[in-house]
Amino acid sequence: MKAMLVKAIAALDRLVNHFIPADIAADRDTRNRAHVFLVSHILGPFIGNVVPISIFVLDPSPGYDVAVLAASITAFWVFPFVLRAGVPYNPLALVSIENLIFCIFWSCYFYGGVTSPTLAWVLVIPLLAFFYLGSSSRLRLIVMTMFTVNVAIFGFFYFFGFQVNNKLPVAAMQGLGLVSTTAAAIYVAMMALYYAKIQASQSELESEMREHMATAVALRAATEEADRASAAKADFLAKMSHELRTPLNAVIGYSQILLEDAETEGDAASVADLTKIHTAGQHLLKLVNEVLDLSKIEAGKMELDLEETDLAGLLLEIAESARPAAAGNDNEFRCTISPYLGTALCDAGKFRSMVGQLLDNAAKFTRQGRVELVATRATDDTSDQLMVDVIDTGIGIAPDQITHLFEKFTVADDSSTSKYGGTGLGLALSQKLCKLMGGEVSVESEPGKGSRFSIRMPLAIGRRKTDQHVVATLVPTAPDLALQPAAEIPHA
Amino acid sequence: MHKILLVEDNEMNRDMLTRRLQRHGFAVCCAHDGSAGVAMAVSENPHLILMDVALGEMDGWEATQLIKANPATATIPVIALTAHALASDRAKSVEVGCSDFDTKPVDLQRLLGKIRAFLPALDQSNAAVA
Repeated sequence: MKAMLVKAIAALDRLVNHFIPADIAADRDTRNRAHVFLVSHILGPFIGNVVPISIFVLDPSPGYDVAVLAASITAFWVFPFVLRAGVPYNPLALVSIENLIFCIFWSCYFYGGVTSPTLAWVLVIPLLAFFYLGSSSRLRLIVMTMFTVNVAIFGFFYFFGFQVNNKLPVAAMQGLGLVSTTAAAIYVAMMALYYAKIQASQSELESEMREHMATAVALRAATEEADRASAAKADFLAKMSHELRTPLNAVIGYSQILLEDAETEGDAASVADLTKIHTAGQHLLKLVNEVLDLSKIEAGKMELDLEETDLAGLLLEIAESARPAAAGNDNEFRCTISPYLGTALCDAGKFRSMVGQLLDNAAKFTRQGRVELVATRATDDTSDQLMVDVIDTGIGIAPDQITHLFEKFTVADDSSTSKYGGTGLGLALSQKLCKLMGGEVSVESEPGKGSRFSIRMPLAIGRRKTDQHVVATLVPTAPDLALQPAAEIPHA
Repeated sequence: MHKILLVEDNEMNRDMLTRRLQRHGFAVCCAHDGSAGVAMAVSENPHLILMDVALGEMDGWEATQLIKANPATATIPVIALTAHALASDRAKSVEVGCSDFDTKPVDLQRLLGKIRAFLPALDQSNAAVA
């Protein structure tokens, strides 16, 4: 039963919404009033027509007055279509109220005058006027005037000679009174319930809206807070790194001076100690610089310093400076650089740092194995790519650890930190630098067998703009250069 | 012996670089800010100027422009020293009339190479002292 009622109300809502024009739907207050107006007009004639039907049944000789009453009550069904056709709401509501007043006064006029059984319907007039027209005092005044004018007109006819003789017997009058009053009560109750429902759903909607707004405000505040915190963090890291560099430069510089002194004087013991201080200082400086670079990239403040660069020369230079580390741990270091890499617009410093990190990383995790640097350039009709691979036969990386490998502060395995050291900054920095230059670092690895880190960096064809800056840096100056078989560069 | 004017506001950097340059046979005089640097370029008449660009009131670019604007000091080569190896810094150093550009922390061998490039005539004697 309740389900059926819910279904019926839903169907009624759909019908009502069908009749509401877009401009009214946009304004919540008018929309609510139009809602009540439409419900009243759709259901009203069903209930209202009970009166003329009763009269028709009870009256032994029904006259034209019953037809007029039924017609004007049924005319309420026209209003929704008129509203849908675009007639302004308020004037239409006033016409509807006038029709209502007319129906009621008409039935009273013909059946009993001031003692008419249909007089109870008069109470419906101010109620519906309130529902239809809202709180506008101007419209209320118009309704009151309309009411007064109607009373005056019907009263005039009633009291000055156009009295209609009530043809109904007393019992029929009583029956009509019962039916009419019940119908009026049902009608008023229905409208009141519907109005209450709209009010309730509206306040529910409003409280939901308020909740949403509060959530949105809180969310915005949280986002701002997070942005502020993030900016503060980046700022702190940048400042801190800078502040750390000044004393570090002193440590490195002065240990260098002392080292030079000790070398001149042939003080071997001091040379060994000072070398350790100097090396440790430089290692620390490198870490600080990595933190500074990462925070710069994350803050979007890292700029590329582009310069025409001989790629093979740059890679050879990188290989040479990585050789001591790579060949350490009893490793074999191989370097295969194609001599046909050509030149490119490139930030040599960042490129060096990117490849150097990968080589350091490979050397760190490989013992009595092989570290290899391979660089080639692949050119075809659609792409032009620099490929630098760093291959090792080291401990490798488990598949489940590869996913997070390029995230900051990630070392593949915590237990490896104690054995091999590392802050997990290097690979993150390599990847970020590579992406800044328009490329990407990927990794293939098998635990126990080794790893291959591959830099793939588009050259001219891959040059593109992002929101902030040109990311691709490597623009070949000799694009027609054919790729030749890579030549093995002999190493000392 | 070649005389180098070092304009640098950080005391430790000034001290270190001075000693290391002296070790390599250069006479070094120091200025701790831009305006002193401009004044000493005239009074000391050095063979070359090392100019830190991140100075206090008058920055290295401005000091270099003043040195280059004065006919008495315009021919002295100026090597700019910056903490950032950015192309924009390099462009700026060329714009204000610097002869070369190097980054801090100083890689002494690299800086010496740049210095010697402007002082070819006496290179041998300096190398001998070093």
